[in-house]
Amino acid sequence: MLELLGYLLKQGVATSRENFPDLPEHVRGLPIVTDKDCAETCNQGTALCADLCPTQAIDLSEANKPKLDLGKCIACGLCTDVCPSGTLVNDRRTRTARASREALISTRESPAQTAATKDSKETKPAKAGLFKRSLAVRVVSTGCSACDMEIGASLNPIFDMERFGVTVVASPRYADALVVTGPVPLGMRAALLSCYEAMSSPRLVVALGTCAISGGLHGGGYSQADGVDKILPVDIYIPGCPPHPWSIIDGMLAAKSLKT
Amino acid sequence: MKVDKESISLADLKEILGKETHRIGHFTSLDGGQLLALLLDPSQGDKGVKLYEIALENGINSYPSLTIKHPQLHWFERALFDMFGIIPSGHPRLKHLYLHEPYERNFFPLRRVPLPENFNSPIDRRFHFLEVKGEGIYELPVGPIHAGVIEPGHFRFSCLGETIINLEIQLGYLHRGVEKRLTEVPLKHMHFLAEAVASDTSTANALAHAEAIESLAEIEVSERSKYLRSIALEIERLAMHIVDVGGMSTDIGLLGIASAMGRLRGTALGMGDLLTGSRFLRGFIVPGGVRLPVNNGLFKLKGQVARLRHELKEPIAMFLDNQMALERMREVGVLKASLAKEFGMVGPAGRASGQDYDVRRAFSHAAYPNMAPPTVTAREGDILAREMVRIKEIWSTLDTIDRLLDNLPEGETTGADFSKVRLKPDSFAVGIVEAFRGELLHLVATDKEGKVARYAVKHPSFNNWTALAIAIRNNLIADFPLCNKSFSLSYSGNDL
Repeated sequence: MLELLGYLLKQGVATSRENFPDLPEHVRGLPIVTDKDCAETCNQGTALCADLCPTQAIDLSEANKPKLDLGKCIACGLCTDVCPSGTLVNDRRTRTARASREALISTRESPAQTAATKDSKETKPAKAGLFKRSLAVRVVSTGCSACDMEIGASLNPIFDMERFGVTVVASPRYADALVVTGPVPLGMRAALLSCYEAMSSPRLVVALGTCAISGGLHGGGYSQADGVDKILPVDIYIPGCPPHPWSIIDGMLAAKSLKT
Repeated sequence: MKVDKESISLADLKEILGKETHRIGHFTSLDGGQLLALLLDPSQGDKGVKLYEIALENGINSYPSLTIKHPQLHWFERALFDMFGIIPSGHPRLKHLYLHEPYERNFFPLRRVPLPENFNSPIDRRFHFLEVKGEGIYELPVGPIHAGVIEPGHFRFSCLGETIINLEIQLGYLHRGVEKRLTEVPLKHMHFLAEAVASDTSTANALAHAEAIESLAEIEVSERSKYLRSIALEIERLAMHIVDVGGMSTDIGLLGIASAMGRLRGTALGMGDLLTGSRFLRGFIVPGGVRLPVNNGLFKLKGQVARLRHELKEPIAMFLDNQMALERMREVGVLKASLAKEFGMVGPAGRASGQDYDVRRAFSHAAYPNMAPPTVTAREGDILAREMVRIKEIWSTLDTIDRLLDNLPEGETTGADFSKVRLKPDSFAVGIVEAFRGELLHLVATDKEGKVARYAVKHPSFNNWTALAIAIRNNLIADFPLCNKSFSLSYSGNDL
């Protein structure tokens, strides 16, 4: 026991001192549309980005007006790799949660749709006001486990989500928000709905990860794994495949500021 | 590797299985009109991979079940029924494995040959649990949604007091229809979906996919790519083994050690970030090579390995020195070697019950078997043995990454240009990989136009789930979470 205590004291503080830092240079975040013009050749119908995209997240139907749906994007980075004009670039910011499905669509006019959290421009430690309220979340996994593991990571000593007043609870009965990961295939529908029904109002639904938002890679099949908002009203969307722990925390804080 | 199909009769198959020189890699069908048996003899290396086809007569969709003689086939036969509507008649417990109530009774997603006229499935979609009767016996249902942040599955315990008499597991909640989707998406997008079969195993899935596709397209992969793939696979193993040991400490109540392991797992994920730009190494292994980001941190990996080797020592030593931890793990959830062999168990859980089988030493994939570390085994088959195997593998994985980095060859690594890739028509290829949970297998078949006609995935957990149900018998219900974790099973990988 003493040995363990000594060890823990020796480790010092592991928790990140900066909140919502940008991802390191070498890490792929989500792509984003900048205000740069598409290359001439791309406008003539030879653009590679939309063709390479594994989830048809890029819409080029109007010349020079690419629309990028972050709710479908799996952050594979192929589009930003081939974009010759710098119209699509890697966005290393981590405050990526949004309060509506439309806000996930990145265009030249609105490259960085406003973040869902009120204090979106803040990068210094979260304001004292945030600690006034707490949020108890119930996580239901319906997917491939990467998002679940990143929720686990956001609770580890480095990110330490609980210091923001967000706790993951073991029952829907005392949860404020239902966090859903995965595309909700047919097999999970009944269980998910009964979990939602067991929650008292007011309650929120958070779609965590690209599968939960749109079905991602799994959509379109016979299991009808096309996302949460097909069966439940979603309040907060956290894109990414899986989202970075900071993005997850951003989403939880967004849900907290919505909490009524 | 490419495999040639040999047509045999069911009697021949029975004879081959009777010799017990092979384990069952996969047992499935192409379109419902035949049985396919992929048999593996690890002692023979790549030559020990054999694929047999047993034709089913026109209009007949059943055959005498083989499960009673070969328990390894238990779940394979259930999956075969679920996906193709082929009935293994006389199967001791024929139940749906993947598709339950939400699906129509006679819906078999992968079947392409028509069902016999007036066919009606012999069982309904409801899952009928085995009932244990007797005075004082009660049932405890758990799931599909669990208390923690984990994947869904239903456990039905029949208990007497605090002792578990029987456990039956119902899975399939995560069935996304991946195998069908893999035959529908274009080849250039296929590897992303293959990875997402189970994303905690994304590297191994990507590797199995790449190995199969490369054999079908006859693409040579550079030595450098092979080494980099192995490094990625070992980083995944390292991160997940650390998670598993950390999870064990959480469930025992050693939260200090658990949080240390959580932090160190972050270091391992950071290695994935450095190499691939993704914490889960997504999109790194592609058919033809690897996608190494321009500004990768390959040169930093060596330092990270040394750091982890140093920093893991203390928490792991404390974990293994803790009397409470040892008592919770020793002689609990024991699985005998003979049963492990019957079930065809794989990975650390199999090795902890004396199964000397590590795909890295048996079949070629990435830089193996050349760079394969020695196989770690134990005999006891209890929770402690499974953890000991995992911990020893953490050290051997660190050594392997070091050796791979030291011997990393120069060369090109770019992936294939998909506009030029053509798959060989009417062929079969398989990728067999040692994922962190054990033998992972992707079997790909093409039609006469060279399109993927059948994509079969066999996740290591598919072999191991039954073992959990047996190992927990006559143990205390309070020991279940620990025992479950020690098997480290995947729901999504099993459910597909």
